[in-house]
Amino acid sequence: MEPILKTENLWKVYRTGKVDVPALRGVDIEILPGEFVSIMGPSGCGKSTMLHVIGGLAQATRGKVLLDGNDLTTMSDSARTLLRRHKVGFVFQRFNLLPTLDAYHNIVLAQHIRADGFDPHRFEVVANLLGISERLKHKPSEMSGGEQQRVAIARAIVAEPKIVLADEPTGNLDTKSSEAVLNLLSSLNKDLGQTIVMITHNPEAAAYGHRILHMRDGLVVDGSTVH
Amino acid sequence: MVSQNVLHRPLRTFITVLAVAVEVTLVIIVVGLTSGLMFESAKRTEGVGADIMVQPPSASIYMQFSGAPMPIAIAEKLRHLDYVQAVAPVLIQFNSVNGLEIVYGIDPETFRAVSAGFVFHEGHDLQQPNDILVDDVYARSKKVKLGQTLHILEHDFHVAGIVEHGKGARLFVLMPTLQEMSGAHDKASVFYIKNDRSDHTPAVVDEVRELLPRYEVRPLKDFISLMTSSTLPGLNAFINVMIGIAVAIGFLVIFLSMYTTIIERTREIGVLKSLGASKGYIVQIVLSETTLLCLAGVVGGVGLSYLMRVIFIRLFPTLTILITPAWIGRAGVIAVLGGLLGASYPAWLASRKDPVEALSYE
Repeated sequence: MEPILKTENLWKVYRTGKVDVPALRGVDIEILPGEFVSIMGPSGCGKSTMLHVIGGLAQATRGKVLLDGNDLTTMSDSARTLLRRHKVGFVFQRFNLLPTLDAYHNIVLAQHIRADGFDPHRFEVVANLLGISERLKHKPSEMSGGEQQRVAIARAIVAEPKIVLADEPTGNLDTKSSEAVLNLLSSLNKDLGQTIVMITHNPEAAAYGHRILHMRDGLVVDGSTVH
Repeated sequence: MVSQNVLHRPLRTFITVLAVAVEVTLVIIVVGLTSGLMFESAKRTEGVGADIMVQPPSASIYMQFSGAPMPIAIAEKLRHLDYVQAVAPVLIQFNSVNGLEIVYGIDPETFRAVSAGFVFHEGHDLQQPNDILVDDVYARSKKVKLGQTLHILEHDFHVAGIVEHGKGARLFVLMPTLQEMSGAHDKASVFYIKNDRSDHTPAVVDEVRELLPRYEVRPLKDFISLMTSSTLPGLNAFINVMIGIAVAIGFLVIFLSMYTTIIERTREIGVLKSLGASKGYIVQIVLSETTLLCLAGVVGGVGLSYLMRVIFIRLFPTLTILITPAWIGRAGVIAVLGGLLGASYPAWLASRKDPVEALSYE
């Protein structure tokens, strides 16, 4: 089976003043379609940078990122934007819902940007799956953290991306809400076959994935399979 | 999303809309005032009832700006032309005390022959050297009563009558008095000619032009259409400068408003980019918000203009402010285009934000 995501000798170097600071130092990973992969590691090890680069938000310095057969490292900014629009869904630690919009419009926004029209069936499936059908008219400020994260997940998957990239999705949630969100991600993966890459500090959260990649100093140092 | 964003910060939205409304009001009122003054002046000139107006060579169509260099004896020559029924010489003086008005120095008999006479609300015609007639609009606005003393042109006049407005000026005195006061003995600023039949006007115009080759001879039939800002030197420039100032206000307020909006919404822009929003999409959102603000400002500005007109006219009843659909449309287009120009840099800035930096913005 062809990997949905593959990196080869992936480097990302930031320049701070006159000093080059490498955040990724030659990462090689492969993610297969339908996999749920957790990435763990200490702060500053390059987890978030890797998520940004494989999601096309940041340009790699060297190496290759193949997302669904497209090499992100050779793409222009607008081509990466287009790829992101159709193939990537992001879930953030701070939910990042637009505060002026209610839950419904936050979710529909993704379909609107994709410009292929509103798919009411897909919307209904996603809203029911995530249990937010009763909260659609509420703005983010009127929802709990767990509810906001469920809306954010709905927004990420409503446009049927090839891969969901979740950056510490439970980092701002209490234990109960964290468990609910992780169960949801797991269900999405099992029931809809959604490929998920999740960054986390929490070993219990990481255990929800099929595999856990450990990062340190900009490198993947270990990849273990969860049983 | 656009309307929600606009409503999210009501105070900022209100101030921005208000600034655009002020811009629109400024354009509409400045143009309305200038065109209103011209229209009203032209209407009163037409209201004299003459068919032709004769002025000295190179005289302005705006009689307020004309001197009195024509010998009054010309009137006699004009009376002897074919088809001419009556000729009324008028001396014009500009009064700037207690408001801006022109004063007609008239010979009551000839002026009556041309204009069919005044309609008197009160009092009687000019009889004594110090008599003055005021029209009803002037009397109402300046609270002038019959019989009172009116001090204008450094002279005390006795209000002999209050007449219906619309006969050239708002103030009328005897011509010899005005000639004496202005040192223009036996001079007139304009001759109004009444023909025996109005269809003889072209023939009389030709006759006058033959008699007085370099003089300004104007049929009054289409006088109002001649009174445009382009016929008065400098007026167009004045209007353009005022429009420029108005546009600058709108431009700067929209620029500042949208710039602060963009800074405040940096993280949201990052979110949109993570969802795959293109630069064009983000520019479109910013410009759509701007258009919405500007349209609200235009609607508010039109309402404010009518309100200002009511207030102005209540305070200064002699003013005429002409609000036309054409200039409402132009003011609207100017406001929207100025606003879009002001928002274009913030929109460009928003579209070029780095998504990773934007997402980590606190």
